[in-house]
Amino acid sequence: MTPRTLYAVACAAAASMGGYSASAEDAAMGKDLAATIALQGMTCDKVVESKRNGDSDYTAVCKDGNRYHVFVDAKGRVVVKKL
Amino acid sequence: MRRVVIYGLPVFLMLAGCVSVKNTPPAAEPAPVTAPAPLAPTPQNPPVPASAAQTAEPTAPSAAPPPVTAPATPSPAPARKSQAKPKNVAKTQVTPAPAAPQKTATQQTPTAPSAPATTAAPSRPAAPTLDLAALEQRLRDTRAIGVFTKLSLKNQVDDLLDRFRQFHRRQTPPTLDQLRQQYDLLLLKVLSLLQDGDPSLAQAISSSRSAIWNVLTDPQKFQQI
Repeated sequence: MTPRTLYAVACAAAASMGGYSASAEDAAMGKDLAATIALQGMTCDKVVESKRNGDSDYTAVCKDGNRYHVFVDAKGRVVVKKL
Repeated sequence: MRRVVIYGLPVFLMLAGCVSVKNTPPAAEPAPVTAPAPLAPTPQNPPVPASAAQTAEPTAPSAAPPPVTAPATPSPAPARKSQAKPKNVAKTQVTPAPAAPQKTATQQTPTAPSAPATTAAPSRPAAPTLDLAALEQRLRDTRAIGVFTKLSLKNQVDDLLDRFRQFHRRQTPPTLDQLRQQYDLLLLKVLSLLQDGDPSLAQAISSSRSAIWNVLTDPQKFQQI
């Protein structure tokens, strides 16, 4: 193996690990959002997509198609609004 | 041959003496020998409990029945027990004051039932043990639930505490039954969130359920939160 090949393999491994960790974080965030939505009495069996709008501000798309805006207001309360 | 006789005779005599001691308890001869010894210290009761106590030492669990039968039939009980272990009888004759172990043995029988009672007493309060600060810290530190979920749970706990404050101010809207339903629902949410990721914490909270409720419903304890 040439040094260039080793470097390419290392970069690919790092990228794959980063993607794995990112997907793990997404999965954890999805569970957190789903639990938060359920705690507010709304239906969401599983979050299939989530978008970060800002600090403590997310838009979650559930498996059943429902979309929710989950954020923390100025008083420190978690608010879930159906979009 | 003479040396064998000289050394063998004392050994034989010693063995014969031991054999005679073993045979004496079942027979009637050793009974009168033991009789004067117990008669000297105390007339009737001491000899009977002495043998009963010494026999009770090897068999602790069966100690309860002997004291009951001891006063009724003093002589037959020691005779049977002495047949089982004659060496103990010899020891009893050597020991001058058997009265002390008798009293302890008889006192142990009443104390025996009291001992399990005392052990059962601490085990009962162990279940409702409550450490709110530790539970709160464990809830903060657990990774079983995410940040949004923790914050949402905290909001709902604060809301419930506000309702309890209203209840303790004698405000009618939240009745105790309503508070109980809300409390159960919130605790159910917490347990459902924790049972998979942190089962030990879920168990701790579940076991503290009634204790927490007692704190919430008691005005004095509630003010200390």
